[in-house]
Amino acid sequence: MSNRDWGLAPLAPLSLRPADEVMRLERLGSLHACRLSFVRTLMRQMGRQRWQVSRERFDLDENGYGTVIYRLQTPYGRYHGVMFAQPLDDAARSDRVIAEAWDVTFGLVEGDVDDSLLAQMAANVPLQEAGRQHPRLLVMSRANKSLRNFAHFVEALANGRQPDPTWLTRVGYLYRTTAVYGNGKFGIADFARLHENPDFRRPFSAQMAGVYLLRHFSIEQVEHLARCRAPETACELATELRRYLGIGNSTGLGMAPFLINHPQLIAQWVNQRETALALVQRQTPSEHERARLIALTRRAIQHLAETVTEDVEQTERNTTTVEALPDVLAWLESAPLEEDLWAQLVAWSERTLSLEAQELINTLLIELYPEQVDPLEEQMGVNENLDLQPDMPLMRLRQLIETHYSWALEYEYTSREGSYWFWYRSTEKEEPRLGVRHEEPGTEKEMLIAMGPRVAHSHAAICEFLETTPRAKVVDFLLAKPRHKEIIRRVQTLVKSTYGDIHANLWHQGMKPMHLLRTKLAFFGASRFDPKSDRWVRITLLQGAPLVEELNAEPEDLSHFDDWSFPLQPQLEKGCVAPAELSPQGDQSPQGERSPLQQSPSQQQRTAQGGMSL
Amino acid sequence: MKVSFNELQGLCRKAFTGIGFEDGDAADAADMVAWMQCHGFNAVDQLNRGLDFLLEEDPEALPEVIYQDGDLAVLDGHGQSVLRSISLATELGFAKARARGLSVVKIRRCRNRQLIMGYLSRLAGRGINITAFWRNSQEPLTEQVVGFRAGHPTPEVRIYSVRDVPEENEPNDGITLVMANHVELLPSLGADHDLDLLARHSEFDLMACRERALQEGTEVDDAIWARLKTLAHRMLVESSDASRSGAGAGVNDND
Repeated sequence: MSNRDWGLAPLAPLSLRPADEVMRLERLGSLHACRLSFVRTLMRQMGRQRWQVSRERFDLDENGYGTVIYRLQTPYGRYHGVMFAQPLDDAARSDRVIAEAWDVTFGLVEGDVDDSLLAQMAANVPLQEAGRQHPRLLVMSRANKSLRNFAHFVEALANGRQPDPTWLTRVGYLYRTTAVYGNGKFGIADFARLHENPDFRRPFSAQMAGVYLLRHFSIEQVEHLARCRAPETACELATELRRYLGIGNSTGLGMAPFLINHPQLIAQWVNQRETALALVQRQTPSEHERARLIALTRRAIQHLAETVTEDVEQTERNTTTVEALPDVLAWLESAPLEEDLWAQLVAWSERTLSLEAQELINTLLIELYPEQVDPLEEQMGVNENLDLQPDMPLMRLRQLIETHYSWALEYEYTSREGSYWFWYRSTEKEEPRLGVRHEEPGTEKEMLIAMGPRVAHSHAAICEFLETTPRAKVVDFLLAKPRHKEIIRRVQTLVKSTYGDIHANLWHQGMKPMHLLRTKLAFFGASRFDPKSDRWVRITLLQGAPLVEELNAEPEDLSHFDDWSFPLQPQLEKGCVAPAELSPQGDQSPQGERSPLQQSPSQQQRTAQGGMSL
Repeated sequence: MKVSFNELQGLCRKAFTGIGFEDGDAADAADMVAWMQCHGFNAVDQLNRGLDFLLEEDPEALPEVIYQDGDLAVLDGHGQSVLRSISLATELGFAKARARGLSVVKIRRCRNRQLIMGYLSRLAGRGINITAFWRNSQEPLTEQVVGFRAGHPTPEVRIYSVRDVPEENEPNDGITLVMANHVELLPSLGADHDLDLLARHSEFDLMACRERALQEGTEVDDAIWARLKTLAHRMLVESSDASRSGAGAGVNDND
């Protein structure tokens, strides 16, 4: 292809990967956070639009209990993060939805918080699901402490020392959320209300903003405790450690029904990511971009090498990826700089690497071209409507199923293995659970989230109906067999959004629920996947993300502000904390410090001295 | 108590599933109730009044086509609530209008007729003009006319009182639906008609009502809410030590 042809290439239709490749559960379960993930897009928006965070109230006692309010000012509106910190017995600390008390509960409020609203929130937010929440709350959430990190951080800071960064490598947060509610749950604001709100109309952006404020709170609370304990010696947390501090999330099967029940939304997310990947492969690389990809790959290698999990399988996956990436570096360094280098890289990685390594390469490639990719972040939302096309010839529907849902027709659902699991909700706070069919009670109350068997069942009924009524329309069939309505309109809708259904038998004994969890968490922007079982995982959000003080400083270099993926462990030497050599901050200067232009005077002092007396 | 739109829709869907609705019907019925409630039509109260009937309905007695040709269809709703499967009768009208330009569907013997507006809103959003009307037969005789412009999910609604009751005033528990591709079918009150306008809900007013419900939540009676929760509870599986392990979490979350 000539240069001129490549110049015209963006006008040609994009060739996206087929759904049968992308939507396989194993591949979805290998996704990494990317620059279209929600925490990344939120931080970019905050930096670009110069959002400001300020402390409006800080009423914590010497134990760190009390109320804190942060103001979040955007060009469009004003919001408040209201935090309630309370004592919690260690025995009551549970990450599960069935818990009834937490170390911190909080909400993100649209508009101002007057005394009346604060009183209403104080009476209800700590109760979470058991309370009746105010309709001006956009987000409601709760979090539990990482006790070991918390104690270590308070002790170190109280003694005027910086905590050991390796503690944050093992567990990357002081708090982990156990649910972050939006969209009308328990009386809070409907997401539909935000459709015209430029701050939070993107999916999950309000939830991520709430988590960002919690991260800031965790830093301020731990410093407050250190100051209360030893006012003479206490110091602040070093900037590099603040940045390396994320917020954890502990989650289970609850994510699975969301993925299945919002297929158009999932299709939209995957479609934007695939579009980004296709756009990137059209770009003619420069030496600068090749060098940038090599640097990002090195950072990712180190990040994964530093990722700690006790889960044997995840450890193996991380190790496999880390061991494969030097080959990627060698390939990148030796390949001629041809116009289709990125397409060659993707094709080579598909032939050579594990799924997780392939998707890592894709994630890194997407990182290279912000101008091409970032506009896609405005396309992550969608109006969800599974609409019937009643006038469609039934024969046409049959053909569509056989074309687009062949994966569902290929599975078998009658053997013990093929129908092993059933999904249900428990009477305990409606917690989603998996039961073994034929062994455990409750199959008559099964949650219908396994689409494969339902599509296959409808297909069989359609074929039978067509034998006697070959010219029937869809509505004729449904008037005779109405129970197929839901699956038929789903199919009719999703053949136009082919990334909507996950190509897997969710009943199968070998099905791995962890892949479902990771799919959604990757789009949130999670890192440090740390499975605690085959259906329970802890992750970290916002580790490496810019700090409130960096946001408030109105960053001029937004590309640097945005460059925080795959965060690396800072270095603690002689009491001082320095950025890791390969981190974006480490890249800034040979001394491993950020340029003075990017730091406030207090930050410069904090970094240099490893802490400052409070 | 104040509840959100999504909360109401979600609980209704679970409650309808608990009653025994098929998955698609439960979703449609929940959409209808939530749509009506946030547009100010007190659908939750209507649902509550009809709940006992709904619980006794025969789930196998589905709407049945008595007559149809290319333009017309007559269906028997078997006295059931429009919440159960009646959406397919409206879809039949939609399919005929798409194919022939205009269709008329009569659904005889059905209850909770007003709630059908919630589903017609979806059809209108798909680009069809709709008018729906129904009369009751008790005095005062009233007639409700609902008109949707194609592409507008919010209708114009008029409720009239008919002064002169026809001599042959048979029980009237049906709905008439007229759908057209290219002709607007909005309610209007002719000057010569012997009718009194009892209520008029403009598209603008109804949209404002929805906006308010999204801003402030919608008021629902506590007892009705509790009843819906009880019905939703039917689909939950009793917890046990074994089932708790089915969530896959650890036993100690201190780290």
